[in-house]
Amino acid sequence: MFTAHRGRRGLRTVAAVGTTLMAAAALTACAGGGSGGSEGSADSGTIDWWGWTPDVNVATSYIEAFNEEYPDIKVNYKQVPIEDWEAALRPALQTSSGPDIFGVQPGSRVDAFKTFAEDLTPLAEEALGADWQEKVSQIGIDGLTADGKLVAMSVGAVYAGSMWVNQALFDQVGLEHPTTLDEWIDACNTFRENNIGCFVQGASQEGFDQDTLQAIAERVEPGAWTEASKGERPWNDPAIVETFEIWKRLFTDGIMQEGAIGYAQYPDANNDFMAGEYAMIMMGSWYTQYAPEEGMLAAIGAAGVSNPEPFPLVPIEFPDVAGKGNPAGYFGDADYGLALSNKSDNKAAARTFITWLTTNEDAQQLVADKLNNIPALNGAVPNWENIKLPFPDVQLEALQSYTETVSDTELARFLHLNTDEQDAILAAAVSIAEGTATPQEAADTMQSTVEALG
Amino acid sequence: MVTTEPLTDVDPATATGGTVAAARRGRKGRRALQPHGLPWILPGLVLSVGVLYYCIGYTAVISTWDWDGISPNPEQVGLRNYTQMFADPIFWGAIRNTVLFFVITFTVQTVLGMLFAVLLHSRVKLAVLYKVIIFIPVVLAPAIMAPVFRQFFGADGQFNWILEHIGLGAITQPWLGQSSTALWVLMAITVWQWTGLTFVLYYAAMGQIDQSILEAARIDGAGNLRVIWSIIWPGVRGTTVALAMLGAIGALKTFDWPWLVTVAGPNHATEFLGTIIYRQTIPNYHVGYGAAVSILLLVLALIMAIFLQVRGREKNEKAS
Repeated sequence: MFTAHRGRRGLRTVAAVGTTLMAAAALTACAGGGSGGSEGSADSGTIDWWGWTPDVNVATSYIEAFNEEYPDIKVNYKQVPIEDWEAALRPALQTSSGPDIFGVQPGSRVDAFKTFAEDLTPLAEEALGADWQEKVSQIGIDGLTADGKLVAMSVGAVYAGSMWVNQALFDQVGLEHPTTLDEWIDACNTFRENNIGCFVQGASQEGFDQDTLQAIAERVEPGAWTEASKGERPWNDPAIVETFEIWKRLFTDGIMQEGAIGYAQYPDANNDFMAGEYAMIMMGSWYTQYAPEEGMLAAIGAAGVSNPEPFPLVPIEFPDVAGKGNPAGYFGDADYGLALSNKSDNKAAARTFITWLTTNEDAQQLVADKLNNIPALNGAVPNWENIKLPFPDVQLEALQSYTETVSDTELARFLHLNTDEQDAILAAAVSIAEGTATPQEAADTMQSTVEALG
Repeated sequence: MVTTEPLTDVDPATATGGTVAAARRGRKGRRALQPHGLPWILPGLVLSVGVLYYCIGYTAVISTWDWDGISPNPEQVGLRNYTQMFADPIFWGAIRNTVLFFVITFTVQTVLGMLFAVLLHSRVKLAVLYKVIIFIPVVLAPAIMAPVFRQFFGADGQFNWILEHIGLGAITQPWLGQSSTALWVLMAITVWQWTGLTFVLYYAAMGQIDQSILEAARIDGAGNLRVIWSIIWPGVRGTTVALAMLGAIGALKTFDWPWLVTVAGPNHATEFLGTIIYRQTIPNYHVGYGAAVSILLLVLALIMAIFLQVRGREKNEKAS
């Protein structure tokens, strides 16, 4: 009995010790390595780059060009869908097995991720000199800096406020581009009579609603939206209320497609537009990449069209919906910046890649030619002679003018708004569209919500 | 007498008087001969407690923080996340949606599941084919079907096309693009997906009903509806209670369909606790608030399960 009892007790002890060790090992593994990273070589090594953008083919072209100059640095690019980005990046950055370089969105994300990134100010100074801030887009610096720390270096920027049209559909029904609200309403009536969709918007997504609202606000009173975003004027200011009233008319006067507030800009609205079902869509400078034949055919194919045929994709100014003669406004942010993880095991090689892509003239020319971003480095413009447009007579001049004009702005798109404020904008936009709140009520609610958020 | 049957298996339900005492002593004696079980289950127990219950406890702790999920220095805010939650109209909208969602989907699934089970217990040609057709939606992933339903119920989707072609063009509308109809579409999708499971469970439960009772009822002149109401329905009560529990907990945890089909919109019309947790925790970085809603969801699920279990037992006791 004594032996059996002692045997059982021994077994229990062994099991308890074993499980304690297992639990300790598991907790240690969960806690992460806690590594501070290491330098490695600036000319060789393997680095992991994670981002939600650019697309893999664009990133691959950057990496191939980079490898012509730095053949011994291998860059592995991993694109994570935007909807999974936050969920994937947060745990990854807390372990030493996360990316060496990661993409950062401007605004509130910079503040959130700043503790995981090295300050890149010395890198920018080393690459461009002490006056580096004058050589790159200011919008890229403002949006990617937190507490004086340059968390990420901008590759390029995107700007919104423009509409894009399918010129073939306009030609088909003999219409000119609308320049006022009334012309816009008339154009939509004409398109509908010809069984063609007029304007398509994914109004269930805040970012794109905000683009349209801010474009309206620029026509109502330039800068008013930005001031409200900064907290320098209330959201129930008359200019914002008037903006909301015009927004409502887009729904009541038949400009927006039916069911717009259940639509997502991506993929729904984008697919419908690319499939040739609608004549107009609210998109920004990132849409330029679909103007060339190669990008357009890929986009049309991705929209589910089996035998894609290119159409003349052209940017136009947002109509003067307020009738006040104010100029069309553009607003933008850095599309993304590259941040260096402070847990990277190849910091030197990662710095080499970041420096090259964000400050090297050849790399920035490549960024410009891809048309996804307006390059961060001042002076880099697309080389249109090397870009094959399917309808150059219709597209070239409009695209040249557009890419030169949009980047002149200093108005931010998302920079001054946190996610709670963006949610409040979406709630206001949708409740106005549904008729559950008047523009004044929605504006008052927004103001009280923002005040409550502090 | 007592020592004559120490190792005999005794069913407690049938044991009486001294036999029960003998059985207890017998089992005790048998346990003494077996190795002690605790060391063998301890690794699993530690893993279970360490992973599952530790996480629940940690979530409860996080729910008292104002934390973005990243910062190494979360701020202790006590019960502020809970007070914010109870003051948030979106939260109460989600609760209302959950209750409505459960009541409607459970009722419709129960009726349809019972109907299909009764029909397929009768002699129906191609019964196996019908069973497969009814059950297939259960195994289809929402992520695969969500784009199909977005298209189907879209303003220019196939559902409206069907309505137009059967003379109901007057009621076509953007089903997913308005607050008044989006939740009903989600309920229809849920019924479409889970009726197959309800049917299978009822079908199996009906197979356990004593045929002689059914035959006796028939001899006594009971019609189909009378047999269903008085014999079959009480006979599958246990299954109904289990389905109600699963349905209630499922409604509380609802996330995939509203997020994939309507992104909890428009204007929070299809908001559920699960969508609030995800939105607040991941895109909005309010991890503490998300944890508070998670804890509430856990408490509600437990209360719901206990309530339905107790009610089910009470009814069973009354019935017996």
